[in-house]
Amino acid sequence: MNALAALTELSKLCAMPAVDASAVIYASGMHWASFIMWMPLISLVLCGICAVYKVRSKAPAIITVVCLATSFVLTILLWHNYQGPEVIHVFDWLNITWEEGSFVANFAFYVDSLTLLWMLFVTGLGTLIAIYASEYMEHDIGKGYTRFFAGVSVFLFAMTCLVMGDNLLMLYLGWEGVGFASYWLIGYFYQRPSAVAAAKKAFIVNRIGDVGLALAIYLIWTTFGTVQYDEITSVLETHQYSASFGGWSVQAIPYLLMLAAFGKSAQLPLYVWLPDAMEGPTPVSALIHAATMVTAGVYLIIRTYPLFMLEGSHALEVVAWVGGLTAFFAATMAMAQYDIKRIMAYSTVSQLGYMFLGLGVVTSYGAAYHVFTHAFFKAVLFLTCGAIMHGFAGQLDLRRLSGLRKMRGWKIVSYTMLVGCLCLAGFPFTSGYFSKDAILAEAFVTQGTGFEFLGWLAIFTAGLTAYYTFRVWFRVCAGPVHFEPGDELHGEEPSNFHPHAPRFAINFVLVVIALGALLAALPYFMPNETEGLHGGWIAEMVNDSPAAAGVPGAVLDSAHGVNIGHEVAHGDILGMDPHKAMYYISAIVGFIGIGIAFFIHLLSRPTADKLRSTMLSNKATRWLPTAMENKWYIDEFYIAVIRSPLWILGKIFSLFDRYFIDGALVNGIAAIPRVIARWFSPLHNGAIQSYAISMFGGALLIALLMLFMPEILAFMQTLSPDTANEQTIATLGGGK
Amino acid sequence: MANTLWFLIPELILLTGTVVCAIGGLSNKAAIRRNIGFIACVFLAASCISVPFVYTAEHVASSNSLMPNLGGYVKFFAALIGILLVMTSGGLMDRKYEHAIASGKDTFDTLRSSAGEYHALLLLSITGLMLICEASDLIWMFLALELVSLPTYVMVAMSRWAKVGQEAAMKYFFLGAISAGLMLYGFAFLYGATGTFEFHAMADAFADQNDAGGISTFGQIGLILALVGLCYKIAAAPMHLYAPDVYQGAASAVTAFLAFVPKAAGFIAIIMLLSLVGWEGGLPKSVEMMLWVVAVLTMILGNIGALLQTSTKRMLGYSSIAHSGYMLIGIIAGPPLGLIAVMVYLVIYGATNTAAFSTLACLQRNGESVDSLEDISGLVKRSPALAASFAISCGSLLGIPPLFGFWGKLMLFTVGVSAGQLPLVLVAAISSAISAWYYLRLIGLALLAPLTARSEQVSPVLRWPLIATILGAIIAVGGPVTLNALTTDASIAVHVSE
Repeated sequence: MNALAALTELSKLCAMPAVDASAVIYASGMHWASFIMWMPLISLVLCGICAVYKVRSKAPAIITVVCLATSFVLTILLWHNYQGPEVIHVFDWLNITWEEGSFVANFAFYVDSLTLLWMLFVTGLGTLIAIYASEYMEHDIGKGYTRFFAGVSVFLFAMTCLVMGDNLLMLYLGWEGVGFASYWLIGYFYQRPSAVAAAKKAFIVNRIGDVGLALAIYLIWTTFGTVQYDEITSVLETHQYSASFGGWSVQAIPYLLMLAAFGKSAQLPLYVWLPDAMEGPTPVSALIHAATMVTAGVYLIIRTYPLFMLEGSHALEVVAWVGGLTAFFAATMAMAQYDIKRIMAYSTVSQLGYMFLGLGVVTSYGAAYHVFTHAFFKAVLFLTCGAIMHGFAGQLDLRRLSGLRKMRGWKIVSYTMLVGCLCLAGFPFTSGYFSKDAILAEAFVTQGTGFEFLGWLAIFTAGLTAYYTFRVWFRVCAGPVHFEPGDELHGEEPSNFHPHAPRFAINFVLVVIALGALLAALPYFMPNETEGLHGGWIAEMVNDSPAAAGVPGAVLDSAHGVNIGHEVAHGDILGMDPHKAMYYISAIVGFIGIGIAFFIHLLSRPTADKLRSTMLSNKATRWLPTAMENKWYIDEFYIAVIRSPLWILGKIFSLFDRYFIDGALVNGIAAIPRVIARWFSPLHNGAIQSYAISMFGGALLIALLMLFMPEILAFMQTLSPDTANEQTIATLGGGK
Repeated sequence: MANTLWFLIPELILLTGTVVCAIGGLSNKAAIRRNIGFIACVFLAASCISVPFVYTAEHVASSNSLMPNLGGYVKFFAALIGILLVMTSGGLMDRKYEHAIASGKDTFDTLRSSAGEYHALLLLSITGLMLICEASDLIWMFLALELVSLPTYVMVAMSRWAKVGQEAAMKYFFLGAISAGLMLYGFAFLYGATGTFEFHAMADAFADQNDAGGISTFGQIGLILALVGLCYKIAAAPMHLYAPDVYQGAASAVTAFLAFVPKAAGFIAIIMLLSLVGWEGGLPKSVEMMLWVVAVLTMILGNIGALLQTSTKRMLGYSSIAHSGYMLIGIIAGPPLGLIAVMVYLVIYGATNTAAFSTLACLQRNGESVDSLEDISGLVKRSPALAASFAISCGSLLGIPPLFGFWGKLMLFTVGVSAGQLPLVLVAAISSAISAWYYLRLIGLALLAPLTARSEQVSPVLRWPLIATILGAIIAVGGPVTLNALTTDASIAVHVSE
């Protein structure tokens, strides 16, 4: 019997680890490191208890901060003890094996240095931002305070699951979890229709990407027979990284993964949810929609990098193009916004575009480094925006705020924001400068379709970035003191409004993260322990991962065969070595951008308005500012091309459902059992005699069936010429 | 014999519990009377804990029973689910009476108090279920089966003093007597075919007949009649007719009991009977065909019957008929995988079905137990925890993927397919899809529907059934983690000794 051996094999499986050990260390049982994941869950449970008891204090914040800080400390310990890729088995989750294959997705952590890199900034920034939020959210104590911190805990739990899982299913669990947490927190102000709409938009747009992820996981499982990272890698190794096995699915997998990454990380064409996600409280924007969650797409691609690098695959080129174009378009949109938080949102989209460009031009090192630096400087930018929003009653319009640095109590905000701006603008010797250069230079080094164009586009975008970044800073923090309060006055009169300068918690966090943003330049100068590696600590951290192919100077065994001509043909820029030339080029571009911003947004502010009105009055140039201010009409385009047709289709289906499915089919079919029931209803009349008759009747029918069994079997024999039954007939006939 | 007694330790513990409960229920002290359920739980827990000590490898090796490990599995989970069932009955018996005594409006009268008897009968019935596993001959098996059923007749009658309860009990008793008669008739034929009641001798006789070309017609008739009789216990067609009436007539806690304990007893008896005839070589075609027809009818009639109901209890009653049909797939697929799937499914079904019924047991409308579908409309506004747990247990019974019920169904269906019973599994899948209609309706009513004028008056009164529901939901959610261990245990349990 071809039996489902799953059931019998299970007993054996329970005892032994599912994979054979090659270079990977295995640890099993309740490892202390699993508390990195459990701490946010504990925090969630405690927040839940706070909610039940309607706690009206900062207890939820304290709980969350303590739990997240514990996670962070444990992560540091794990990093400290790191000796090589390790699988930490927590408990069996799905562990099914049968004769032809298996599906193993245990609750286990895959800890390599890449995981640690991600976990360090996720838990570290998570802790800091929770501290910040403890003050930022205090006007909601007793209302949504607990809900907020519960949401943050859910997010951190899901994010650790996403990053630390040793298989794609755990990543998927975390992926959906962070999406849910994001929905939860964007819709935090659920009384505001715009927040609810934004939450829905984020959720639905992310679903599109998630379909890609689900399909990719399925195809990976059917192609490789596993969803565990180390096993996928070993299958790839045995096939010498050629795409000759698996047929079309091996080619399709990277594109599906890409779709998922583009959804989560807000790339063209799925970026539309991220700017709207700014409806959530600012700490959420800083943590989820700038520093951590949106980098999950980058993480996904780095994790599955070998799949993108198979022979003959053009997947990375697509990634590079999407990333480069997103970086550019988002930067143009950021230039024309007035809401500083939205500017930061578009800037996030744009910087994420850089990261994908980096992945596409085979510098996983550059992408990871940019993720790392961006996490700090974008967090500080968002948090300063939040402080401003908090202090000026929701005012975020850069035309209505000015000269903050000269106001009492706003110095720390102004200068930490300056740090963030410098990093984002790629000012020489800031962290953003080094990480961005790593990507830009690689665009000229690596050979690929149009990579050189993308490189120039990215350099141009760097100039735009410098411009819009300092547009914010020169407008808001520099210049003469002037402010108008926003509309969230909480009962104050606009006439005697006083800005509330941030207090200790916010200032402390701002300073720490700003210092972090500055210090994030240091890894670039750290010496490498591994021979031949360039790029300092980050390179070291990426070098142990499947994405080592994108680390400069990494010693690649045949296992990590690079099929895009990376080290082979070394390109150049204007006849110079890109790595060196980029220092100067990007510095010059950055200075130009900052200079323009300095001129039209600080020195002579009316020039900016004049420039805009001149462009608007000229027919030839009118389209540019209009389109940029209206975000290139992408939202309107989606509404016209996707949403409206779907809405109409939905209406049609709804009518079809109501009148045909429900009306004709369901009621029709539902009538059949009723009719049948009516035949039998005389039997089912509650009278005990008729039940007894039915029972005997049934028994009699079965007895008759048995009596005529040989005849019935013979009849079936005539229907299907299956000789196996002859024996039975003979048996039964003989037995009589 | 001493050896057999050793294996009866869990039963003996329960039997002691029966006596203690029966006497304790008549105590003058209200504290003892009120905690009779707790006492029953303690004995069940003790019985449950004793199982691993009784079924040690050493003792099992010296057992002369046909399936030496079966008892270990069945007794352990029977006691465990028994605790859940006792919790479901919490507050069912004597609540108003005890209330009246406490407030001084009434005096204690041993004749009018019934909580002790109820729990004693409940434990007795579970004892019967446990005893079946140790049966070494047909007489023992029959007596054990009747020990399962006889207390339930009384339980149905005493659970509701209204006429419906009496009517249900009468029907249940008479029809049960008829089915027992059929079963005994079948046993007589089996005796005629083999000349013995003793299982080992009977298995040898059937093996000889198999070697000689097949089981005699006498034996086949005996098997089929016995199986038809057992169909009553598992509420399978054509013996299922009583189920909706009786389930509706009894109090919800008793219904939960009826839907699990006799059914488990029936399935274990079926497994033991069929393993006599040399299952490994395939069942006699006639028996297989009979089971096939019964399975198909049970699944279809159960699920279609449930569609039309306006009573929640009837709906869940019909659905429990359908679940018997699913489990018959495992029986048809045969050992070892089919039986493993049945054993696992019994546990899953027992926990989640009890949770679903205990939701109803927990609710009261103006002091009366609830029944109609409308009563659970908008339950979420009355008690979110209860509504969520109810929805989870319904989801598990339906087989929504991450929940426990899904894995059970998946196992049954996969063993069905791998045993070449594709048409049967197709029928199961289709009828399972039909069942989605009413399960989702229950979930939707509980979670999404508004409160109506009628359901306004419904409130979760009883504490213990509420806890039982939540526990059931926790099992439905967290159970899949234990699936590996459960399957391993089940595979050991259905192992037939040489």
